[in-house]
Amino acid sequence: MASLAAAQVQEVRSITRIERIGAHSHIRGLGLDDALEPRAISQGMVGQKMARKAAGVILQMIREGKIAGRAVLLAGQPGTGKTAIAMGLAQALGPDTPFTSMAGSEIYSLEMSKTEALTQAIRKSIGIRIKEESEIIEGEVVEVVVERAAGGGGARSGRLTLKTTDMETNYDMGTKMIDSLLKEKVQAGDVITIDKATGKINKLGRSFARARDYDATGQQARFVQCPEGELQKRKEVVHTVTLHEVDVINSRTHGFLALFSGDTGEIKSEIREQINSKVAEWREEGKAEMIPGVLFIDEAHMLDIECFSFLNRALESETAPVVIMATNRGITRIRGTNYKSPHGIPLDLLDRMIIVPTTPYSHQELREILNIRCEEEDCQMSADALTVLTRVATETSLRYAIQLITTASLVAKRRKATEVSMEDVKKVYSLFLDEHRSEQFLKEYQDEFMFNDGSGDASQLMEVSQ
Amino acid sequence: MKRKFCVIDKIESREQNFDKLKDFLSKGDVEKMYRKTIWYNSLLNAEKTCLKDEKIKKIHYKFEDGREMVEEYNVDTKVLLRRAWKMKGKLGGEGKWSVEIGDPIPETTPNADAISIVESKDQPVVLKRNTRINIEWRIRNLPYPIETYSIKAQNDQKLIIISTSNKKYYKKLEVPELVRLGLSIDQMHIDATHKYNTLIITYKKPQQLLDMEREWYAELDKIKPIKDIPNECQTQ
Repeated sequence: MASLAAAQVQEVRSITRIERIGAHSHIRGLGLDDALEPRAISQGMVGQKMARKAAGVILQMIREGKIAGRAVLLAGQPGTGKTAIAMGLAQALGPDTPFTSMAGSEIYSLEMSKTEALTQAIRKSIGIRIKEESEIIEGEVVEVVVERAAGGGGARSGRLTLKTTDMETNYDMGTKMIDSLLKEKVQAGDVITIDKATGKINKLGRSFARARDYDATGQQARFVQCPEGELQKRKEVVHTVTLHEVDVINSRTHGFLALFSGDTGEIKSEIREQINSKVAEWREEGKAEMIPGVLFIDEAHMLDIECFSFLNRALESETAPVVIMATNRGITRIRGTNYKSPHGIPLDLLDRMIIVPTTPYSHQELREILNIRCEEEDCQMSADALTVLTRVATETSLRYAIQLITTASLVAKRRKATEVSMEDVKKVYSLFLDEHRSEQFLKEYQDEFMFNDGSGDASQLMEVSQ
Repeated sequence: MKRKFCVIDKIESREQNFDKLKDFLSKGDVEKMYRKTIWYNSLLNAEKTCLKDEKIKKIHYKFEDGREMVEEYNVDTKVLLRRAWKMKGKLGGEGKWSVEIGDPIPETTPNADAISIVESKDQPVVLKRNTRINIEWRIRNLPYPIETYSIKAQNDQKLIIISTSNKKYYKKLEVPELVRLGLSIDQMHIDATHKYNTLIITYKKPQQLLDMEREWYAELDKIKPIKDIPNECQTQ
């Protein structure tokens, strides 16, 4: 009996796959109430009330969808929650609004020009809602099998068995499909629809037949009937596609060449113009609806002067999304020039932006953030350990303190303790240097490092001689 | 070929004496009913191009509403071998051919990344064939014995529905040929056999359809085939 119970517990654990925890995975929204007033601690957000309030106003502007091509700059010191606010905004907007997140340095590539990369990013941030008839597979999942080819790293193959009350079919899946199935955490007993053309998976709920099977399904599980009739149906569905996706569909070379062409590459401007006019036509006829989204450019100071002037122009277009940039620079050189400017962004673009500042966190707020991170990283921490950690965060940086959470919990685990104590934190504090202490150390022992013997000239000589 | 037609005539007359009687009364009208259908007229009005390739005659139709269709006829037997429609996506892009009758067009092997989800190779596939007197569906990879299947004509939705007692297979078959002429599906004309893991369903073509097909083939003879066939595929 006991072994049976143990087996069941095992099964429950295997159902909920462990997700990886990212730096901002604790953020679930902006933490605003209905009147868009920021709550002190909510949805993973702490402090930064003014910036969050400003983000709330921007959120409202995006939701209304009327105003195109506005730019917002989040400016603040490192570790003051600029990216967190952008992530929170994305979460608050919901999955139907396109939100493209990129880093400023992503545009530099050998395969694509800078402006092409920016144009693609801009067009990825504009959605079109359109009704289209498409092939839908709708059924209850009987089995999902994912096999990895022997030898590791090779291609994966997947098989999916679906059924309705009248039939049952096996499907073969490609790698993309396997990934999205795993992402949606599809398991046996779920009733799902798959759009055959786009591969989009929609979970309708769990089958009634499985209602008694698991206690682990949770309260939010919705129970639905197993579908009837054929698995594959033609249905009119409302799609949300981005302008970029429409570009890609229309620019693919077909036939023999399709075998060799890669994913996208550069898209001709004629095709874009054609699509713009087509979309305008659809909108006039009421067939489609435009959903302007958000383009978020992190580390915006990494863009160069050409990109900035391109953005100046691009923002004036009717079909421009709201562009949010984040930077942690003060007055610095604009990349690609010798001029200095606030945030490393030229004044004419700055003039078109609204600037939202973020300020360093207070002692109490740091404690709250660390507490939230401890929960997110599944780590029990004693009160005095948290106090020490907060002090570390005030004296060094928040990021360094967050790094210490999991490391300290691993140290605690090694001595078989359930809770992280102050000693554990002290131990990892001595094991891992923060940036400041590392600098101190370097200054002290600089002479003993490579290429540092004697004056600066000598080191240069050595490099040249190599 | 002539003999076959006579056979059908006999069966028809035995089964539908009443219809035969009506034919006698207003023979011209009823027999040529198909001429009034939207389908026949759209065929007449379509822009047609013809290609002749030894034993096969290919006709490309461009309809007034912008749709495209291709038919392939065997020149000797005058039987339609394949009919395919061009499916255009709403978002644009090059459309795919969807085959209504005949063997599917073999696709160039797509790379494994591109395919998202397809039926496994061992799953049932429906093939629709056109013969002189029958419309025929062949469903391969169906191992269950003949008693498993129930095949019913459903006239509300103009479908033939195949279901299985073991709940493994279910399929709605459309019969656009009959729908286009406004004819109903008759359970009497449906026949099924099961052999070599294949379920073969045949539907005897009604006289109206046979007449129309015969007349339409004669009509197609009026179209001049294009002389300059691209012969890059031929050897030498």
